[in-house]
Amino acid sequence: MGHLSRRVCGRMSYYCRFLFAVFVFLAFTFTVSAGRAVGASLEEIKKRGYMIVATEDDYPPFEFIKDGKPAGLDHALVALLKKWAPFEIRQEILPWQGLLAGVSTGKYDVAISAAIITDERAKSLTFTMPVAEGTHYYVFRAGDNRIKGIKDLSGLTVGVQQGSALAAALPELDEMLKKMGGHLGKVVQYASYPEVYQDLANGRLDYAINTIVTVASLVREKPKVFAMGQAVSKRSYHAWAVKQGNNELRDYLNEFLAAQRKNGALYKLQGEWLGTAFPDLPWVGKLPGDRPLPE
Amino acid sequence: MNWEVVRALAEGAVRTIWLSGLGIAIGVPLGLFLALCRVWRVPLAAPLVAAYVSVLRATPLVTLALLIFFGFPPVLHIDLDPRVAAVITLALNTSAFHSEIWRASLIDFPADQLEAARAAGMTRSLIFRRIVLPQAWRASLPGMVNEMTFLIKTSPAIAVIGVVDLTRAAHRIAAYTYEPLPPFISATVIYVMVVIFLVLGQRKIERHIIKKYGIL
Repeated sequence: MGHLSRRVCGRMSYYCRFLFAVFVFLAFTFTVSAGRAVGASLEEIKKRGYMIVATEDDYPPFEFIKDGKPAGLDHALVALLKKWAPFEIRQEILPWQGLLAGVSTGKYDVAISAAIITDERAKSLTFTMPVAEGTHYYVFRAGDNRIKGIKDLSGLTVGVQQGSALAAALPELDEMLKKMGGHLGKVVQYASYPEVYQDLANGRLDYAINTIVTVASLVREKPKVFAMGQAVSKRSYHAWAVKQGNNELRDYLNEFLAAQRKNGALYKLQGEWLGTAFPDLPWVGKLPGDRPLPE
Repeated sequence: MNWEVVRALAEGAVRTIWLSGLGIAIGVPLGLFLALCRVWRVPLAAPLVAAYVSVLRATPLVTLALLIFFGFPPVLHIDLDPRVAAVITLALNTSAFHSEIWRASLIDFPADQLEAARAAGMTRSLIFRRIVLPQAWRASLPGMVNEMTFLIKTSPAIAVIGVVDLTRAAHRIAAYTYEPLPPFISATVIYVMVVIFLVLGQRKIERHIIKKYGIL
């Protein structure tokens, strides 16, 4: 009996401790989420005298770090924004995952990152007008004679980045292939695109999918290794994002982008960094397939 | 590989060593403090520490870094520098593991020595300082160095809050050269050198102990 009660007690204390730990953890996350700041409104930004923008560091040709200096289209636009805005622009550079957390907790006012506008993202972020077209294209090994068009992708192994808009759009490609009598092959997801391209070059992947601009940039950089394919999604766009509902700040950034389009600066920078200008982009953010964003 | 690339990797390496070093410098004594709370069964503190260790050991470093950098400042109304947040993240994470290493050597401490010290009229804190600690840290050393090497290799998780450590520096280079292997292999060589340096230090200390006391 004594033996049994000791065993029960021992278990009780274990469960108690476990429950206690869980309780502490929940209390902790609750406090944290309850204290979520709302992204600063335009008025607050003007009052405090600065806006915090966040950019990425591994997303050529939009944002990357070369020889210790920020480079790419978005970094060039940030430089213009610094001259244009009457307040100070503070810049933080961090990976996409942290950037998203930073914008949604209100630590950063805007993600000046070429995020692809998707239905899923539009639920938690508010997007500006596009800075570039972001339609998805496939890329394959130069000299791979098996691939001549979209229908040849049927059954082949494809690589994409985990959690990306490209990965989320794969069912769309599957549908396209099914209409042609084929099917989507094996999908391999990677932590980031450098690994995808390496595995494509190694022959472990048959093709990869990224946006028109990034694929064009890759093929320009390594023309002997990679070749550009065709569009595999509806027309999509790269745009900047603020916290959901911060429409004033979005309008302010749209005003800035519109000014850079009217004076030609944006098209010049697009030509310089993306290899091609996009003068026919819409003047507001649009969901893939040119559908309007929910207000 | 040009000079700028070498410089970027070197800066990343220095940052990795600095931040991990600070995390270890805070985490080891904090771990000892936590272990003592449990071993001495300090009321209230002991179950709290048990919960702390369980939660911290189960929390991935990336999640912890995001919570500390983005989650806490708005609640506490403070503004944290990413590097400070990184050191706090590494220190909290490693303190949970170090507390278990310390606890193991404290639990395993020979009871006859404690009885002899008590019989000689020594107080608990004196016994701890003169008898237990000088032997417990030696017993903990292999486990501690092991945990330090783990911390250095899991530290790239702090890049998520914008701290450019060695792995992130390599990643940035890979992102625009489209060649991930050269920078990552270079980074690996640096990690291996840091770990070898730690292990050599451990060996040196162990040899010194054997020379002085005859046993480890």
